[in-house]
Amino acid sequence: MTATTGGAPGVRPAGYARVRVGGGRGTFLLHRRAALVAVGLAVALGAVCVAYLSVGESFVPPSEVLRVLLGRESSQELVVGTLRLPRMVVGLLVGLAFGVAGGLIQTVARNPLASPDIIGVSQGASALTVGAMTFGITSFSVLPYLSVAGGVAAAALVYVFAWRGGLHATRFVLIGIGFAIALRSVTTLFLTKGDYLVAQQAQVWMTGSLNGRGWDSAAPLGWVLLAAAPAVAWAAYAQRTVSMDDDTATALGVRLGRVRLGLVALGVVLASVATGAAGPVDFVALLAPQIARRMTRTAQIPLLCSALLGAVIVVLADLLARRLLSPTELPVGVLTAAVGAPYLIWLLVRGRSIRGGAVGTGTGGKA
Amino acid sequence: MSKLVARELTLAYEDRTVVHGLDLDIPDGRVSVIVGPNACGKSTTLRALGRLLKPRGGSVLLDGTELARIPTRRIARSIGLLPQSPVAPEAITVADLVSRGRQPYQHWWQQWSDEDERAVTEAMARTDVTALADRPVDELSGGQRQRVWIAMALAQETELLLLDEPTTFLDISHQVEVLDLVRRLNHEQGRTVVIVLHDLNQAARYADHLVAMKAGRIVAEGAPAKVVTRELVREVFGLESVVIPDPVTGSPLVVPGAPYSPERTDGRAVHSR
Repeated sequence: MTATTGGAPGVRPAGYARVRVGGGRGTFLLHRRAALVAVGLAVALGAVCVAYLSVGESFVPPSEVLRVLLGRESSQELVVGTLRLPRMVVGLLVGLAFGVAGGLIQTVARNPLASPDIIGVSQGASALTVGAMTFGITSFSVLPYLSVAGGVAAAALVYVFAWRGGLHATRFVLIGIGFAIALRSVTTLFLTKGDYLVAQQAQVWMTGSLNGRGWDSAAPLGWVLLAAAPAVAWAAYAQRTVSMDDDTATALGVRLGRVRLGLVALGVVLASVATGAAGPVDFVALLAPQIARRMTRTAQIPLLCSALLGAVIVVLADLLARRLLSPTELPVGVLTAAVGAPYLIWLLVRGRSIRGGAVGTGTGGKA
Repeated sequence: MSKLVARELTLAYEDRTVVHGLDLDIPDGRVSVIVGPNACGKSTTLRALGRLLKPRGGSVLLDGTELARIPTRRIARSIGLLPQSPVAPEAITVADLVSRGRQPYQHWWQQWSDEDERAVTEAMARTDVTALADRPVDELSGGQRQRVWIAMALAQETELLLLDEPTTFLDISHQVEVLDLVRRLNHEQGRTVVIVLHDLNQAARYADHLVAMKAGRIVAEGAPAKVVTRELVREVFGLESVVIPDPVTGSPLVVPGAPYSPERTDGRAVHSR
C-alpha cells in the first residue's frame, strides 16, 4: 500500500492506515482489516448478548430486552435485569479477560499452544481454591482472591524456573506444562481428601461455571479490567516488538526481558482474575487469539479482536450451557472444552506444517 | 578513527570461554570482515560488539563509553545488527518487516512519523525491495529475504552495521549480490560495516580491513593483500594452499592444494593437521 505524505510517495506497511491525534503529536498505525473485524465482532457480541437475555425458561422478546437495557420501564425487569443480566456480564468480562490473557501469553511464548490453562495459571488457581474449599472456605467472596493468588504464584514459579540468563520461549512453555500437571495432582489430592459435597462443588468450579454468578463477581472483575485497560493498550503496541527473535529484537533496542515480563504479568493477572470469577473456563484463552489472528491476518495477535471474540465465545457457550439440557444447567467450561479440544488437536496435527520460526524457537544465537 | 572498539574482551557461554582478551578497533567508514574457521569465536565477537552478549571480562566501547552503560535503545540508534538467521513473525509483509527497523525511534503514541516513512521508503529503494512491499516475507526467495532483512537494518539508520554471515544460506549469485549491496551502502553512505564470513576468498574480496581469528584470538589483521598469505591460511585454517592474485580484483585468492586422487602417489598431505 503506497500512500503520499507531503507529495513524496512513501512506503507504508500494507493494510495499515495512519491516524494522527493532537495535531501530529501522536500517530498510530491502524490495521484496517483488524478495525473492521473489531467492529464486526462488537456487533456480533451485542447480538449474542441480546439473544442471551432473551432466551431462557421464559422467552423475552429482544425489544423488551433492549427496553430493560436502556433502563426503560418493563414487565421483564426481574427476568432480564436481575436474573440473566448479571450472569451475562460476568461471562462477558471473563471472556474479554481470557481473550487478552491468551493473546499475551501466546505472544511471549511464541507458541499458539500456550495459554493460561496450559502453562499452569489455571491449575495454580484451582489448587489453591480447591485446597481452601476442602479446609472449609467456601465463600464466593473469598475464593476469587485465593484463585488470583494461586494463579499468580504458579506463573511466578514457572517464570523463575524457566529463567536462565533470559527467558527461553520453549523452556517457558514446557516448564509451564510440567507445573500444570504437578498442580493438577495436588488438586486431585485435595479432592480425594476432602468431603464428598465439597469435592462435588469444587469439581463444578474447576470445570468453569457461571451458575449463580452475579454483580458481586462482576464488579471486581470489571474494575480490574478497567484498571488494566491502559496496560493493555501499551501491550498491544509492545507485542509488535517482541514478535521477532531475541537477537533481532535486542538489536532494535527492545528491552526484551522487561517487556516480556510486563506482558506475561498482565496476561497472568487477567487470567487469574477471570479464573477467580468463573473457574478455569478451558480453551477460551487458547482459541480466541488464534481465531482472531486468522480473521485479521495481522502479523501479531490483535488484542482487541481477541478480547471481543473471547467474550462472544463465553457468552454464547453459556447460553448453550443453560439451554442445551434444560432444566439442567451445564458448566460453561464443558461447552468451551467441547469446541476447544478438537481445535487443539487440529492445531497439533497441522503443527508440522507450521514454520519452525512460528512455534517456539528460541534465540538465534550461535557460538 | 574508531567509534567502536573492544578492549581485552573475554567472552564465554556458561563455563566455556570462547574469546580470550581480544583487542579490536573497527575502522570508521570502512568494511571490516572477521574471518576464521568454525567455532573460532567470530560470531560471538560480533554479538558482543552489538551488546547481544555481555562480556565476561573487558569491554566494548562506543564513542569511548562502555556499551553496558548506554541504554539499549540509544545503542540501537548507533549500531544495527543482523543475526545469522533472524526470525520474522509469521505472515508478516515486507514493508511491515522493514518498518520494524524504526523501532528505536518509535513510542506507543508515536508509531509512524514522516521520518519513519522516509527512512523505510529509502531503505527499501536502496535494497531494491520496493516492488515486494506487500508480499509476505515467507514467500520470498533466500536472496530476496536477505535483502529485506538488510533493508530493515538500514531503516534503523545507524552509523554502524554488523552482519553475521549474511551469505550463509544463499547460492553464489545471491552471495555476490548481497555483498555487493553491502559494499555499495558503505560507499554511498559512508556507513561502517562489520561482516562475519567464513569464506576467506569472499572476505579478501570485500574487506577493507580483514580480521583473521582462530580459537578466540586475533591472528592477523589489516588490508587483505597484506594479511592473506599462504602462511596465514595454514595457521588459521590448517590448510595447505597457493595464494594468487584474484584475476578480477587483484586481491589475494586462496587456492587449496590438490584434491584427493587415487592416481596420485606422491603422498603429499593436503591438510597439515
